[in-house]
Amino acid sequence: MSRVTDPHTYKRRRVLAAGLALSAVGGFTALRYGERLTAGAGQVQGYTSEAPRLSGNDKDAAASAGKSHRLTTKHAATHYNNAYEFGWDKTDPFRRSADFTLSPWSVTFDGLCHRPGTFDIDELMGMPFSHLEERVYDFRCVEAWSMVIPYNGRPLRDIIKVVEPMGAARYVAFTSVYRPDELPGQASAFSTLEWPYVEALTLEEAVHPLTFATFGVYGDRHLPQNGLPFRITVPWKYGFKSPKFIVRITFTKDRPNATWHRENPSEYGWYSNVYPSISHPRWSQATERRIWGDGDIERIPSRPFNGYAEQVAHLYPGSKQQYR
Amino acid sequence: MKRFAIHALLSVPGVLLICGWQTDQLGVDPEKTVIWETGIWTFNLLITVFVLPVIARWARWSTLLRYRRAVGLWVFAYASAHLVSFLTFLLGWDITRLSEEVTERPYVLAGFSAWLILLTMALTSTRWWMRRLGRWWKRLHTMVYVVLGLAAVHYLLMIRSDWAWPVTYAVCAVTLLAMRLVQRRQVIVRSN
Ligand code: HEM
Repeated sequence: MSRVTDPHTYKRRRVLAAGLALSAVGGFTALRYGERLTAGAGQVQGYTSEAPRLSGNDKDAAASAGKSHRLTTKHAATHYNNAYEFGWDKTDPFRRSADFTLSPWSVTFDGLCHRPGTFDIDELMGMPFSHLEERVYDFRCVEAWSMVIPYNGRPLRDIIKVVEPMGAARYVAFTSVYRPDELPGQASAFSTLEWPYVEALTLEEAVHPLTFATFGVYGDRHLPQNGLPFRITVPWKYGFKSPKFIVRITFTKDRPNATWHRENPSEYGWYSNVYPSISHPRWSQATERRIWGDGDIERIPSRPFNGYAEQVAHLYPGSKQQYR
Repeated sequence: MKRFAIHALLSVPGVLLICGWQTDQLGVDPEKTVIWETGIWTFNLLITVFVLPVIARWARWSTLLRYRRAVGLWVFAYASAHLVSFLTFLLGWDITRLSEEVTERPYVLAGFSAWLILLTMALTSTRWWMRRLGRWWKRLHTMVYVVLGLAAVHYLLMIRSDWAWPVTYAVCAVTLLAMRLVQRRQVIVRSN
């Protein structure tokens, strides 16, 4: 093989190399930042709030709702979400959810219950949206960040009562919607998660008064990035135990599997109660970064059961290792 | 002048990050954004360190090799910024927690080991050290291959469910390491 190449070839190679380097930088920039830079916050303005008392300036809202509680701003809570149906990036949910069909929405109850059936979301609410209860919960993500969020809904137990679970039912499985055409995360070739998303609680947990059937956030029903139109909120567990976009609720005798638990049982326990002393294998759970607003972040100690120990600790007798 | 331009160019991601921080453009969680961006730019420049000699050989462009040291120092700068933001935002400068993190979390161990190697290389990057260490200088600085391997492992261990980015970087790292091995064999064969 001849190693003699004329100077022209090298000149061309230099130009080519420079071109390749430039395209590498361009490609990287487009792939990593492109969507974030082009899809602005404009989309969110399309959502209207039906209960203006809790939108807009959140500090005023908290005051007018009679809360001493400080709330996370609505902007932060709706622009920083984990909803892998839309994508793994925390800005994917608000950017990619504008076309998500929120209505009509119905939920099927099946499995071990006396009155199975499919109900429209208005039936599940059982009252006009504006009459729903508002609850301010601390929301603690397994990734060690947290927010304080006002949810609109009613205790899940009130709905479960209507379908009458059988005596043999011990668990409740929640299945989320499967719509790869509207949910790019479900269509992604690079995600190892199995769809649809499934989460589960024991029946005892599901009928606990804190377990909240949620139809709105900040008085707003139109926030798919927060798991609407219908999700469950379980404030003493890590956030992924509060399933979103629920379309099916199944009562079972055996313990159902759950999406993240199946994905990596050592990192995402089946119960996943908040225990600050039990670390996630990749980070400590002793403290959390409380997100109050965009860039307004405070590092605070985490609490057992996310601060709800008084209400729920009795559900978990014996060693907490069983309930991690 | 040229040297200045190179340094200016390499500082662009950092300058943009600082501007973004000052003008609240880094999203809801700017702390995590800083950790992620400094991490990815450490990796990008690390890859550049390995790509430069490949291009220099292929296009007989030896001037490129003169900028390797500058790129290497910026790798160290971004890695240090990455480490400092980790210490500040995630550990709140609780140094006892650093030892806990390093011993208990393999991905932090990989990143931290990589940084220690980079630190050693940065400290000994002067001509004076080069002369003083003689043959050992070269040996010490080939450790940058270990840094590349550790960086790939560090990123792979972060996968939660989406693997596209970490795997792409790992493929780049493995390719560059393989090219280097092949090249070394050629050199050895030729010198025999
Ligand atoms: C050569 C050195 C290093 C390289 C090339 C590197 C590279 C990276 C990359 C590429 C990311 C992911 C960015 C993204 O997801 O967009 C990352 C994240 C991270 N790195 Fe490093 N890193 C290095 C050293 C370190 C060190 C010394 C530490 C701490 C002791 C560290 C701690 C972290 C943490 C905590 C994250 C964020 C993980 C998360 O997403 O929660 N890294 N790093």
